[in-house]
Amino acid sequence: MMIIIRRLAGHLARGFVMILVVATISFFIINNIPGDPMAARYEKLIEGGMAPEAAAQAVKVLYGFQPTGTLWQQYSDFMGGLLHFDLGVSVSRPGTPVLDVLTEAAKWTVLPVLVGTLLSFLVGVVLGVYAAIKRTGKLGDALAISGSLLHGIPQYVLALLLVVIFATLIPILPADGPVDILFDPGFNAGYIGSLVEHAVLPVVTYALSAYGGWVLAMKSSVVTVLGDDFILAAELRGMKRSIVFRYIARNAILPLFTILALSLGLLLGGAVFIEKIFNYPGLGLLLIDSVNDRDYALMGGAFLLITASIIVANIVADLFYTVIDPRVRSGEDAT
Amino acid sequence: MSDTLIPETGMSTSATMRRNFWLGVWRVMKRKPSRMAGVVIIVGFAFMGVFGPMFFPDHLPDNPNAITQPPSWAHWFGTDPQGRDVVALVITGSRYVLLSAAVTALITVVFGTSLGLFSGFKRGRWDTVLMRITDMKLTIPGLPLLLVLATVWKFGSPIQMGLVLGLLGWGGVARAVRAQTLSLRERGFIEAARGLGLSTKHIISKELLPSMAPYIAMNMLIAVTGAVYAQVGLFFLGVLPYESDNWGVMLNLAVFQAGAMITTNALGYLLAPLLAILLLTLGIVLVVDAMDEIFNPRLREE
Amino acid sequence: MADQAPGVRIDGLTVVYKTPAGELPAVRGISLTLEPGTITGIVGESGSGKSTLALSLLNAVQPPGRIAAGSVEIDGLGDVVGFAGEQLRKARGAHIGYVFQAAQNSLNPLKTVGKQLLDLGRSHGVADLRGLVREARELLGRMGLDGARVLDSHQHELSGGMRQRVGIMLALVLNAHLVVLDEPTTALDMITQANILKIVREVHAERGLTTLVITHDIGVVAEVADRLAVMYGGRLVEQGPTREVLGSPRHPYTRGLIRAIPRLVGDIDEARALPGRPPTLVTVPKEGCVFRERCELRMDVCDTVDPSVVADGSRIVACHAVTVKEHAS
Repeated sequence: MMIIIRRLAGHLARGFVMILVVATISFFIINNIPGDPMAARYEKLIEGGMAPEAAAQAVKVLYGFQPTGTLWQQYSDFMGGLLHFDLGVSVSRPGTPVLDVLTEAAKWTVLPVLVGTLLSFLVGVVLGVYAAIKRTGKLGDALAISGSLLHGIPQYVLALLLVVIFATLIPILPADGPVDILFDPGFNAGYIGSLVEHAVLPVVTYALSAYGGWVLAMKSSVVTVLGDDFILAAELRGMKRSIVFRYIARNAILPLFTILALSLGLLLGGAVFIEKIFNYPGLGLLLIDSVNDRDYALMGGAFLLITASIIVANIVADLFYTVIDPRVRSGEDAT
Repeated sequence: MSDTLIPETGMSTSATMRRNFWLGVWRVMKRKPSRMAGVVIIVGFAFMGVFGPMFFPDHLPDNPNAITQPPSWAHWFGTDPQGRDVVALVITGSRYVLLSAAVTALITVVFGTSLGLFSGFKRGRWDTVLMRITDMKLTIPGLPLLLVLATVWKFGSPIQMGLVLGLLGWGGVARAVRAQTLSLRERGFIEAARGLGLSTKHIISKELLPSMAPYIAMNMLIAVTGAVYAQVGLFFLGVLPYESDNWGVMLNLAVFQAGAMITTNALGYLLAPLLAILLLTLGIVLVVDAMDEIFNPRLREE
Repeated sequence: MADQAPGVRIDGLTVVYKTPAGELPAVRGISLTLEPGTITGIVGESGSGKSTLALSLLNAVQPPGRIAAGSVEIDGLGDVVGFAGEQLRKARGAHIGYVFQAAQNSLNPLKTVGKQLLDLGRSHGVADLRGLVREARELLGRMGLDGARVLDSHQHELSGGMRQRVGIMLALVLNAHLVVLDEPTTALDMITQANILKIVREVHAERGLTTLVITHDIGVVAEVADRLAVMYGGRLVEQGPTREVLGSPRHPYTRGLIRAIPRLVGDIDEARALPGRPPTLVTVPKEGCVFRERCELRMDVCDTVDPSVVADGSRIVACHAVTVKEHAS
């Protein structure tokens, strides 16, 4: 128990430093971009006839810090705002706090990507076991090759191919946005059905592009465990096949759980291409739009959120590992 | 199980190691013709990038009367919204993609190798600091960071693009080189060479690097693949100005301008760069697969 | 079932491994009898095929290897070479116990010893699991361990010597009367080695077992075995009562092995290592004597004719030189 707590403390400290670093990067993104958007806006407001104080105040509301203060003052303003989740106000969506925009967008990212990840994990792990057991046969070969190819193909290529096949050539699935605007949002069959229908292609794309990695990882993990002495030992002790299989599965899947936890961290920023292609209003599309609109506060906020989720996932993955692996739990270094 | 029935013969010097290595390469290549195909594909793309654009004028002839045509005998993959031949666009566009990939490769190798060597050689404090930085870099998500950077850089020239991608992508090579250096060190390789009175420079250039070259090459290929995807992706997302012709711009225009998702006329325009990327991926996957088998004896024995 | 020590008759056993150069024999035409209630030691260098032979007793040769010919008759069980599926699985563990080399991790790293014991019991349809645990605790206690604590431990919490005792416990707890120990003392320190060997001897006597010990260490055999068999290049070259074989070795390989052991008394130079290297699966001669390359008594006939196995009382030797000498005398 002590070890878990000590590890947790260490990770939290490291995670905190990382978030600090990323927040600082975000600050400089907003602040130091050529043409200094803040100064530009400040000057524009003054040109528009606003009093310097009022203009400064307006800019502060927008970006979270004073445009005229020293760099250090601006920095501490920004960091102070972060402490109560104040990320400034979006420029491209006037008046909306960045945080609100982000949470609204996150909703559209989390669900499809989560479903896609879990789906690909389940299918990939099962087929990975199969590929490992049949690795000398034709089917195992085919599974491994399909895994490498799907793993190697970039997500946008996969998405575009699926769109061409299922939306252009054989138009059976929609590929334009998250839901049909004909339906009123709410708990009615039409709306939900439309949501599901529109989610099919994005989810399948995400699952397919992640599937290859799972198959390959599980295959190599199972092959490693199959070569372990304790599996032969269990067989020579006359253990039932089902029990031996459980030994193999549990030992082989252990490292994959860590990868799963890590990949859940990539969830928020992992669907940029898919969201662009399927016009899904998630965080990825938000980031692209904010880049195109030069909405720096929104961009910095999205970047910070995406990165922070990875850092948190890193910590969770490691703690998770500590809990499920007795070797780590008792303090022995399992690496 | 405990009996190793075929004991591996100890390799005495790095020279025999190298010779055996090339023999091994040949054997692995011969066993699966698909790997040969991988090499052929990559060499083919290199030729296309270097010599391909020479066969076409700087400004490809456009034809307002034949815009966004479906594939035909005259235009195998049809024409773009300006009536230019899609195949010609793919070939001329390959130079940007491949040149920036080459720059990326150079930077990842130089940066990754030297940092990895330094880290593995010095160990101690420097190692910890460098690896922490590498860790941090590996934590920050690449694509979102590139998107953000797109507001600063314009990536007008392929060299610039390759430079940025290389600076973002050396982490993997650095890790691999460091791990190799440490493992060679653990096996007494370095101490033995020191004992023979060889200088550090000699140890690194004549002993360490040759035995590590395969790992560097493999990780470089992986980094380069990632870089190609990233740059084509960036142009595809439309966050960069369309200053140059390349596959990413083609994809973007095909989807968001020519309407490949709505009309089948523009399918050729969309599919041509996609196929180019798929083919390049296939070539790289096949070569990496061959390398994997060459450098991973455990796979080889099966 | 058979509640006393079973006898084992291995006859003409050949095991081949599939390699790029075709199927090559790792064990060739071996015949060996384990008398009920005895400890037999098999000695050989690595690559001699001794581990393959041990696995054959459980019909557990791992692919790409397979038993190509011969039989392994075990009293009360039959010819295990013909066993397959459930029949084979039930024979393993319940009738034949197998103890792994100490350096190998023969336990599931994620489960406690106790849980793996219960898995073992369930696999063999043991109704009284409490009784099984009690038996395991007694066995561990018998070997000088705190049974309750060990059952509650994971593999990584146990030392090499403790793991080895757990291995022995798992091999015996289902009341198997034929036990195969594969390199039982390798990778253990001297004191633990002596302890384990003492335990092997005592448990063997107390429970009435037939025991086979595989080792590369002739000292281990001298310590525990009643009978000794020497393997080289997949062949049994000499066997007989341990004392007799060690006292007056006949096969030139056995002599070389014994000469290679340094003595406490006498000149260190007297200990002479056997020149040359043991053959591998690929380099082992296809015809003639497998040992001839390193043999000091090599004759012309050795190049072409495989020496036949000749019995002389309780001693069995396969060597042209020895046979010729006996014919002459």
